[in-house]
Amino acid sequence: MNQNSLSITLTINGTEKTLTVQRSDTLLDALRRASYFSVKFGCGTGDCGACTVLLDGEPVRSCQIRATEAAGRAVTTVEALADKEQVFLPSPGLAGLHPLQRAFIETGAIQCGYCTPAQLLTAKALLDRQPNPSEAEIREALGGVLCRCTGYVKIVQAVQRAAALLRGEDPAPFAPIEATLAPDTPLAELLGEYSRVGADGAPLILSPPEMEHLNVVGQGEPKVDGVKLALGQPAFTDDIQMEGMLYGALLTSPHAHARIKQIDASQARALPGVHAVLTHRDIPRVKYASGGQSYPQPPPFDQVCLDDTVRHVGDRVAVVAAETPALAQQALRLIEVEYEVLPHVLDPQAAMQDGAPIVHDEPDTEGIYDRQRNIVHHIEAEGGDREAQWAKADYTFEQEYRTSQQQQAHIEPHVCITYWDEDGRLVVRTSTQVPFHIRRMLAPLIGLPVKQIRVVKPRIGGGFGNKQEMILEDLCAHLTIATGRPVRMEYTRAQEFTSSRSRHPQIMRYKIGVTAEMEVVATELYLIGDTCAYGTHGLTVQMVGGQKGLTLYNAPYSKFVCDVVYTNKPTPGAFRGYGSMQCHFGIEMLMSEIADRMGWDVIEFKRRNWIKQGEELLLAKALGEGREGFQQIIRSNGLEDCVRVGLEATDWYHKRGNETWRQGENGMRRGIGMSVMLHGSGIAGLDMAAATIKMNDDGSFNLLVGATDLGTGSDTILAQIAAEVLGIPATDLVVYSSDTDFTPFDKGAYASSTTYISGEAVRKAALKVAAQIKDHAATMLGSDTSEDMTLRDRQVFTPDGSSLTLEQVALSSLHQQDQHQIIASASHISYECPPPFGAQFVELAVDTETGQVTVERVLMVADAGRVINPITASGQVEGGLQQAIGFAHCEEMVYDESGRLVNPRLGPYRVYRCHEMPHLEAIFVQTEEPTGPFGAKSISELPLDGIAPAMADAIHDATGVWIREVPFTPERVWRALRSADTYSGVWQI
Amino acid sequence: MNDKQTAETWSIDTDTPLQAVLDSPDCPPLLHHSLIGPLSWQARNETSLRTTLKSPRVAPQWIAALLALGAAVTIEGEDGQPVQVTLEEVVQRRTRSQAMALHIPTKGLRWGEARVVRTPADEPIVAATAVVEMKNDIVQQARVALTGAGSEPARLAEPAALLAGGPLNADRIQAVAAAVEAAVEPTGDFMGSAEYRRAMAGVLTRRALEQCQSQEI
Repeated sequence: MNQNSLSITLTINGTEKTLTVQRSDTLLDALRRASYFSVKFGCGTGDCGACTVLLDGEPVRSCQIRATEAAGRAVTTVEALADKEQVFLPSPGLAGLHPLQRAFIETGAIQCGYCTPAQLLTAKALLDRQPNPSEAEIREALGGVLCRCTGYVKIVQAVQRAAALLRGEDPAPFAPIEATLAPDTPLAELLGEYSRVGADGAPLILSPPEMEHLNVVGQGEPKVDGVKLALGQPAFTDDIQMEGMLYGALLTSPHAHARIKQIDASQARALPGVHAVLTHRDIPRVKYASGGQSYPQPPPFDQVCLDDTVRHVGDRVAVVAAETPALAQQALRLIEVEYEVLPHVLDPQAAMQDGAPIVHDEPDTEGIYDRQRNIVHHIEAEGGDREAQWAKADYTFEQEYRTSQQQQAHIEPHVCITYWDEDGRLVVRTSTQVPFHIRRMLAPLIGLPVKQIRVVKPRIGGGFGNKQEMILEDLCAHLTIATGRPVRMEYTRAQEFTSSRSRHPQIMRYKIGVTAEMEVVATELYLIGDTCAYGTHGLTVQMVGGQKGLTLYNAPYSKFVCDVVYTNKPTPGAFRGYGSMQCHFGIEMLMSEIADRMGWDVIEFKRRNWIKQGEELLLAKALGEGREGFQQIIRSNGLEDCVRVGLEATDWYHKRGNETWRQGENGMRRGIGMSVMLHGSGIAGLDMAAATIKMNDDGSFNLLVGATDLGTGSDTILAQIAAEVLGIPATDLVVYSSDTDFTPFDKGAYASSTTYISGEAVRKAALKVAAQIKDHAATMLGSDTSEDMTLRDRQVFTPDGSSLTLEQVALSSLHQQDQHQIIASASHISYECPPPFGAQFVELAVDTETGQVTVERVLMVADAGRVINPITASGQVEGGLQQAIGFAHCEEMVYDESGRLVNPRLGPYRVYRCHEMPHLEAIFVQTEEPTGPFGAKSISELPLDGIAPAMADAIHDATGVWIREVPFTPERVWRALRSADTYSGVWQI
Repeated sequence: MNDKQTAETWSIDTDTPLQAVLDSPDCPPLLHHSLIGPLSWQARNETSLRTTLKSPRVAPQWIAALLALGAAVTIEGEDGQPVQVTLEEVVQRRTRSQAMALHIPTKGLRWGEARVVRTPADEPIVAATAVVEMKNDIVQQARVALTGAGSEPARLAEPAALLAGGPLNADRIQAVAAAVEAAVEPTGDFMGSAEYRRAMAGVLTRRALEQCQSQEI
């Protein structure tokens, strides 16, 4: 114990504990060091509330309380809520859980689960003081804990449900509402029933009459990882402590652009307890691209682990490993760096001018299109007959739109632990969406063969694309190699903003030709994609943006021209929506503007032109993802029903343009707007996934997948797909994901691919296992053939009605007869990328005196093919809507002139909180996608695509003003309202 | 919570957490309103009144509400004896003494609050709080406090004084709003430029006073 150490005694979860703490320790530090891992680090600034514990029964943020302040007091963490012996014995289940934990699992309130302990404890404190809280009281109470996954809808429902349980009531099972949607179904009646379910009710699932009912697929199964996340079990990357572990820390650039003239780490290295300091002089210069994408990664390889040039504030300069986090920070301060500050450029259009500062002047970066003008990629693609189609156009419309840089803001920061195992192999335990890509990309950077690297992905506390990137793994590995010891690295929240990834800001110029009969005959898009300091994902995000933005209306002539531009800002990367949402903003805005200008019904105008079933996507082949793509035909399309249902559910035609409905007090005006959208399901001809299913003695199965559930529920839906084939409940599958040593390859969680690609791999593997089961059953029964056998109710049935249990088959195959392991692997790649479709409707109020926009209600009606799990799928919609509303309304990374980010905290950056969310609703219109597992397409990214244009449309409906740049902040709206905005981009041929 | 309620004043020990103030049945509606929204339950549990008085930006709406109400603070005087000073003196750091108790007027006052925010529970870009004391339809006293129109929450005494001695009508409210707009010296940031903040100071002051106008006591 040193002079700053002292012992404190406090009661933790009912047991008196004595902890040795430093005076500077927060309660969060002390609790995690004492292995109360349910208490999470999210920001360290009090903004996120993930570290909430109960102190003497009251919720507090443990990062804001000194450990010494807790002396003599009672601390409650989520570890105390359940009777764990009851939970785990004899088998995992919901018995023994606190009613709140049960309700969180049953309602699907847990996605990534990282904020769940904080939500649970806050809710417990609320219910302890108020057994029957109103929805408003619940939302206000939970307002201090940020969730980036759920949109809070199911969390609120869970607390309401738990309150009922605690009051001794017996609430009905939480289940989706199912109904048949036939062409002649009276929608008013159907949706009236839905509306009566009440605010934030369970999702509504509408199915065509001919859709077959399945046993496991389509059910709202609880998440397979729900219990451990509700218990706060140590499931995340940082929830371990290793003997001798060192703490890594990153020194970042204070300049937007500079050359490192001198760097002196001698004082830092001399500090006792510091084991390594690495600068660009200590690490081989190996070029790479940090985006986690399939081999070969798209160029350019414009990064090295540590460089002698920094290209944005927050860029990497040096790393240290020390015995404590505080020592590591002290060591960073002792590194002396002499910079030659270089001119910088922040605006992409300025960066393209002659004479602009050159962001990448290093000769060893190859493949930059125009280095002098900072254009890393120039893309051109077109389809159709330009002359002929433009000749048909009676009107031409052209307009420019701009989107901002949004941050993923997952609550678990990037965190990684590396160590040598007993065989001298490097283990990388990391919060990543792409473990297999990380292994492949890491190997050349650290000079180890792939076979000597094992990447383990525990549970992920959200990622949304930001963990489809190698952010920390290379640095952490270098430190382990340098020290021989385990090293942990975790970003601070400020580093998440300045040194991880974000959404590409874009400038779009759309030009549309239409006939007097409302037909869109030509569409052109010129896009400037700002890839900021490095090119990772810069090419593919813009290509996806162009492809989706031009495909939605699939004009007979479509042209895409794009410049991807370097600037000196923190680098964007993959972010849910991936270029598509930006380009949807532009195209949907201009379509709405045209309808308004021409006096056309916006619905009818869009309906006439949106892509229909059977149509070929004009630019799918020209615009793949970083390479040529494949021809695509729309095989399922529920967009017409999505719009039809949405119009009825919102009472669109009563509200739109209705001056009486619009008028409010004090300058308030209401508006309603809508948009339509499509996305993709994986990357055609590139994304590959594999799955392995192994049968156990009791007839249960292990499902081994390389797919990475980052909170989406993909482990659960993959289990449901396998269970449907194998005739078992999903709980008979033990899902393991993912570990490059033990699970088969999967490209990872991105591009909305998991359900469609990984799901089909699982289905194929399950079909193989089912065949083996039937073959063995035939052997056991002395039958010549296994044909026409069926699997259901944990049994295999012959056509004559005789049966064997799966346990009998398993025991026989493993121990008795024709002994072998029933096991199968399967891989899947698709050359199709079926788009899910959707319609989004927004109702809002605009304060015309202040410019403040208040979002009141958001409805999404989605065609995701067959919905594998309505609870997790609706959770994807609700959480996606929250992020999309943030993108449109308030989230923006803002820089000063020097390139310094002025709002690198969750509070000022502004992520929507529970008590300010609008009313969210999700309705699914099911279709059967013939190429998808059980007819499924994707859902995860689709909800991001249309909120910004729908909000802009609603603002216009309210005020008559178009706002063509997001986010719609009060001042931006106020200025637009004052400028008496008129349409300037239209001319008639 | 150590507190004392008299006919016209509610006195609270400054060790008291904000949440205890909110939970108290004596908490006036204006203060209740100022403590929810941007301030989370967790923050209210962790933050004492003393902290908010030392660092007004911790809970600016709360401080603005107290300024508008005309709250006073007992501090430790130079001789160690308690001395009562205005809240403004404490907020403006004209005294460095330890705040011991907060005294909040609770007599029947009309109040109004208006704000502009990015999202409903965000820290306001600009907010105005007004408190008006009326007698026989004549304004006896009016206080207006703003956040977001200066570096810290501040009371604008001179513009509000224009209301005293006359009725609370639209013309006089507009005059105060214009005076507020002219008086403030905001600094712009990423949430709002100085020009925008100045304009909002006027708009929101008018709205806060209009709420007072329509309020029944």
